[in-house]
Amino acid sequence: MRVAARVLSCWMFVTVAGSVASQSGAPAPGPLAWAAPSWKDELEQVCSKTDDAMSLTSDELRSLVSRCDELKPPIAKLEESERKVYSRRLQLCRDLYAFVLESRGQR
Amino acid sequence: MSTHDSWSRRATGDPMMRSRFSFAAAFLLLAATAHAGDAPGAKRRVQPADFGKVVMNNYASKAKMSPVVFQHWLHRAKYTCRVCHVDIGFAMTTGETNVRAADNAKGMYCGACHNDRAKTDDGHTIFAACTLPLTPGRSGCGRCHSVGSETELAYEFSAFTKRLPRGRFGNGIDWELAESTQRIRPVDYVEGVSFRRSSLKAQKDFALSSKLEGMPDIIFSHAKHTVWSGCEGCHPQIFVGVKKGTTKYNMVDIFQGKSCGVCHVNVAFPMTDCQRCHSKPVQ
Repeated sequence: MRVAARVLSCWMFVTVAGSVASQSGAPAPGPLAWAAPSWKDELEQVCSKTDDAMSLTSDELRSLVSRCDELKPPIAKLEESERKVYSRRLQLCRDLYAFVLESRGQR
Repeated sequence: MSTHDSWSRRATGDPMMRSRFSFAAAFLLLAATAHAGDAPGAKRRVQPADFGKVVMNNYASKAKMSPVVFQHWLHRAKYTCRVCHVDIGFAMTTGETNVRAADNAKGMYCGACHNDRAKTDDGHTIFAACTLPLTPGRSGCGRCHSVGSETELAYEFSAFTKRLPRGRFGNGIDWELAESTQRIRPVDYVEGVSFRRSSLKAQKDFALSSKLEGMPDIIFSHAKHTVWSGCEGCHPQIFVGVKKGTTKYNMVDIFQGKSCGVCHVNVAFPMTDCQRCHSKPVQ
């Protein structure tokens, strides 16, 4: 009974939030959108691993390079001051991961 | 008595002539030394307090303001190279960053710390840079836009470095020893700016062979460099070679500010201190 009540309350919460978002003009968020990190969170997650780069596997490094590439569009849309800073930071960590990957003879 | 005899007696025997000759020689030597720096191509030795000074003038002169003077010695005593050159995003070459007052006012670059809120390790509130509206004058912009003017500094070089271990060149400070003995504790993380990282496992030290016979080989210490720069500070923007031995270094390039010279010409201990790098005993 308690479990059912919890499930029902969660469903109602999502429904109400979705309708509010719809009325505000924003698209109704799907379940994944609530968990989607902002570009800043993603940048931090990706670039905080530079100190471990040498101990990461090649697959992990490729994944990080790919995630760096996916961050380029949102950063390119920032206003000039932020864009300069964050695009350079992104480039530094992307280049390091690519460098380590290349050092293993792989791209 | 021949002319030659009278001349040599005058030159060597006459005390008055000897003293005049000595005075003239000393005067000429002094004059030559004083003007040595004015000769074309000659370089004056930079004073310790000025070693690492950077003049930033992408836009200042165009805005009819004095260029900015940035002193590395103070900032490196308080922060690692990585905080500024990776986390905050300053380039490694003068003029490349293109910092504007608007960037600082928005909390970027200098404004990341110079915001009237952040504090140094000794509790000083770091003054705000480029606040809007702009306030020209010594208490405002003139604090940094100070080329050609006498600016009162919050930290004076000789007082600040009094207790730090001495080095032979550059700032005259052994920054490496100062850090290893904890007389300075450069901060590697700034809240809201830096990313939380796990502790760095430094790569091993290795030797680089010197091309000059009899010159000691270089021992390169990754551990010492990663304390200051992390990995991305050097790789691959300064050191692009992947395989050891594929990149050929030469002292001409290094003295011109390439590879090691990016740091070790103007900020880290200078290239004149050969023994700091060429330290492997010659077999």
